[in-house]
Amino acid sequence: MQKGKKRWTAALATMTALTLALSGCGGGGNNQSSASGSGGGTSDKPVELIWYTIGTPQKDVDSVMAEVSKYTTEKIGASVTMKMIDWGDYQQKMQVLVASGEPMDIIFTSSGGFDYVQNARKGAFAELDSLIDQYGKELKDTINPAFLEGSKVDGHNYAIPANKELPQQEVWRFNQNLVDQYGIDTKNVRSLDSLEPLLKTIKEKAPDVTPFAMDKNYVPYVPYDYVIQNLPMAVKLDTTDYKIVNVLDTPEMKEALATMHKYYKAGYVAPEAATTGSTSDLMTSGKWLLDRAQTQPFADNVWSTSYGYPVTSTPASDAIITNNSVQGSMMAISANSEHPDKAMQFLNLLNTDPVLRNMVDSGIEGTHYKKTADNRMENLPESKNYDMPSYSLGNNMLLYLNPNDPENKWDEFKKFNESGVDSPILSFNFDPKSVSSELAAVQNVKEQFWSSLMTGTVDPDQYLPQAIQKFNDAGLEKIMAEAQKQLDEWKAANGK
Amino acid sequence: MGTFFKNLYRNKALLFMVLPGAIWFFFFSYLPLAGTIVAFKQYRFNRDGFWASIARSEWVGWDNFKFLFSTSDAYTITRNTLLYNLAFIVLGLIFSVLMAIILSELVNRKLSKLYQTGMFLPYFLSWVIVGYFVFSFLSMDRGLLNQILGWFGMDPIQWYSEAKYWPYIMVVVNLWKSIGYSSVVYLAAILGIDKSLYEAAMIDGANKWQQIRNITIPLLTPIMTIMTLLAVGKIFYADFGLFYQVPRDSGTLYAVTNVIDTYVYRGLMTTGEIGMSAAAGLYQSVVGFALVMISNYVVRRMDKDSALF
Repeated sequence: MQKGKKRWTAALATMTALTLALSGCGGGGNNQSSASGSGGGTSDKPVELIWYTIGTPQKDVDSVMAEVSKYTTEKIGASVTMKMIDWGDYQQKMQVLVASGEPMDIIFTSSGGFDYVQNARKGAFAELDSLIDQYGKELKDTINPAFLEGSKVDGHNYAIPANKELPQQEVWRFNQNLVDQYGIDTKNVRSLDSLEPLLKTIKEKAPDVTPFAMDKNYVPYVPYDYVIQNLPMAVKLDTTDYKIVNVLDTPEMKEALATMHKYYKAGYVAPEAATTGSTSDLMTSGKWLLDRAQTQPFADNVWSTSYGYPVTSTPASDAIITNNSVQGSMMAISANSEHPDKAMQFLNLLNTDPVLRNMVDSGIEGTHYKKTADNRMENLPESKNYDMPSYSLGNNMLLYLNPNDPENKWDEFKKFNESGVDSPILSFNFDPKSVSSELAAVQNVKEQFWSSLMTGTVDPDQYLPQAIQKFNDAGLEKIMAEAQKQLDEWKAANGK
Repeated sequence: MGTFFKNLYRNKALLFMVLPGAIWFFFFSYLPLAGTIVAFKQYRFNRDGFWASIARSEWVGWDNFKFLFSTSDAYTITRNTLLYNLAFIVLGLIFSVLMAIILSELVNRKLSKLYQTGMFLPYFLSWVIVGYFVFSFLSMDRGLLNQILGWFGMDPIQWYSEAKYWPYIMVVVNLWKSIGYSSVVYLAAILGIDKSLYEAAMIDGANKWQQIRNITIPLLTPIMTIMTLLAVGKIFYADFGLFYQVPRDSGTLYAVTNVIDTYVYRGLMTTGEIGMSAAAGLYQSVVGFALVMISNYVVRRMDKDSALF
């Protein structure tokens, strides 16, 4: 025993020594970097803003940001460092970075990547109400007010939404080559049922084509807005009493699931749809007739260019403005930002100044792109080293047009945005704090039943009652009651 | 104090060899232990960094553990985790010792190396890739198995929605992937056995089977015990890749493929409650710790030399 204790002390001593040595090194490193930082600064010291955003890291980010910094230092006295995190990693890495208190100023957030509402509630973002009033006047005038209104969490703004397409509208997309080849009539298509003759024709005439392409995330369209994406609690779009219902229990969904199962049995849907992660193979091979997607103006052109064959579409739903569509791309200021005021000034500039916005989007003029007219540009070969996702970097409507963009592109976007109808629960954000353990259990039930029901893989007559039963056992009713309580309070507070 | 430094000096080579491992464990296993406190908090960010966030988050007692036990899934996931791991431990032990003995008895050294490498290879594959391998066998319309069934005039099977086949598929896939690695451990132990023991046995007229039963297996017992004890400590941890990737996350199979790790992942993926995932991890390690202590105690009772400590 005595001997064992001594060995342990020895190990402990070694480790302590080593820890000291390591922390010593770390400290030295810090000193050095701060020394060089202050040495490089001018008299009024531009502050450095650190900007985390989503997308595959690009080779020329640093050189472009150096150029951006020159511009912003002059305008607002702040330089910018951009850190890109790849699509698949963003959610997870940002969780860790924010949780560990990594220094950062501007954070990309959305309903899908590094969830906006949740993280606003957890305290990841600074509240922006007064900052917007102070530094964001131009910004407020530029972007569609529905964006700022719809992205409020508990009455406050925590992020600046990018000005882009506002409503979401579902469409049926068609592989036009097959439509022409087999003389298929797409004119009267709108509801799920109206697809049947088309699917039937293609199944008979071209058995090697997948008539109805879908992956496991497919959900038949029903006129409801979900309180939480893909959990069966929803409010009907034309509701008057604001009642939250279990969407699986509604006549619309029951009918849609029965139709899906009919299609599945007829072989219109790929047998493994419920476990298929993506339909990109089908899109590449062109062996599909139709699928459903979300649209925006000129989407047909974008799809046709990216697939290399003509794709057309017809509406499958109205254009609805929902939380999900409003919160599609936003930039927040980190709660631990040292310079929230400078960050806000930067966001204001980014969303209102075409020079800055296009520099961030396309790189350095003459290196990555060249201007061909006042509002037009063309990519140069170097642009492959700076290929950025436009949607995530602020106001889209300031972007220069590409050679094959129509002149009225942004006007059409504005028209599309005006055509959108507000969802009754737009800007209501459910706070699941008091039901988080039920929510975890319900998520598991959802994963178990959702895809196989929605793709029609299983018979709803048999599985739908089972699923509803299991959802309720897991506590869905309790969550719905809590959501209803919050919705009623919200409704009273907002005078709906 | 003098003896302490003398000891340190005398064992310097050994201590030096232990150092990297000790450092690794200190930073990645002992230091983070303080963070288990998160399991009892509703974690909220604080602008002053991680420790401030922990300190200022609200205490919630055992609330974070509730989701693990609140539904009928609690039974399913615990049963699946335990039974699968038991099957993996028992069958894994039998098959890897068997393979190790067969490999050691092969006269042709070159062929033996070839088989060994072939068996080792799957160990290096990621579960995502293994998942696609399995899919190429089980796919509904293009899978190998359904084509073979077709040759015999049988109806194709929807493998990814028929739960009854999956306990066997999971066990086979896991054994295929892991045996190569563990049999190398046993093979090394077998090669370390003094050859004179076998010579003596042969002179006494023992046949191959008797040699294996009376020399190889008894001499392998200590390492078999250690490997098994180590595996028992992880009995509450399921291999996430195996249970998530190989069945392609198919909902209809959850009754036989949902385990603690996948349940936690699915439940918390969208809400991102760090406290609840920490609670699940703590629960798994506490149960694992208790099981190791108990089984080590039992082993020590039976055979002191084979116990871990």
